Amino acid sequence: MKHIIKISSLLVAIMAFWIGLLETSIVPRSNAWLLPIYLIVSLGCYGLLMVGVGLMRFPTCPQEAGLLQKDIVEAKEFLKQRGVDVGSD
Amino acid sequence: MELADRAVGFILSVISISVFTYYTFWVIILPFVETDHFIHKYFLPREFAMLIPVFAGVALLSLLCIFIGIVMLKSKKKKA
Repeated sequence: MKHIIKISSLLVAIMAFWIGLLETSIVPRSNAWLLPIYLIVSLGCYGLLMVGVGLMRFPTCPQEAGLLQKDIVEAKEFLKQRGVDVGSD
Repeated sequence: MELADRAVGFILSVISISVFTYYTFWVIILPFVETDHFIHKYFLPREFAMLIPVFAGVALLSLLCIFIGIVMLKSKKKKA
């Protein structure tokens, strides 16, 4: 609940800033119109950057994978001895 | 496989950073540079700064809708 208040207040602040920019015409009107599109583009860039960074430093642990495979083989052997059907490899 | 993932992530990061830098320069800094400066040669007219993202967004949204529709159709066929 608190998070949504934070986001909406941020949105309201940006809207107020934008409307002020549109009304006071410090910068030309055609430039002030670009602000929301600029925000959307930067949001998209941020998302893409986060995906890229997440892909780049995706944690892999090959040793753990080997240990897990060994464990699986061991468990299958154990269960086969007790007569439990675990299917073929 | 791991290296390919890493390369794709690196390429995505580079693309996003370069797009962000270019667009920031285009939209935020360029209005404060004189119109006859040579740097204006490297940027399209200002209207395209609005048109290109809007077109890209519409295209992305429609592709997403088409993809969702195809997936829903396929899942329905599988059930029947």
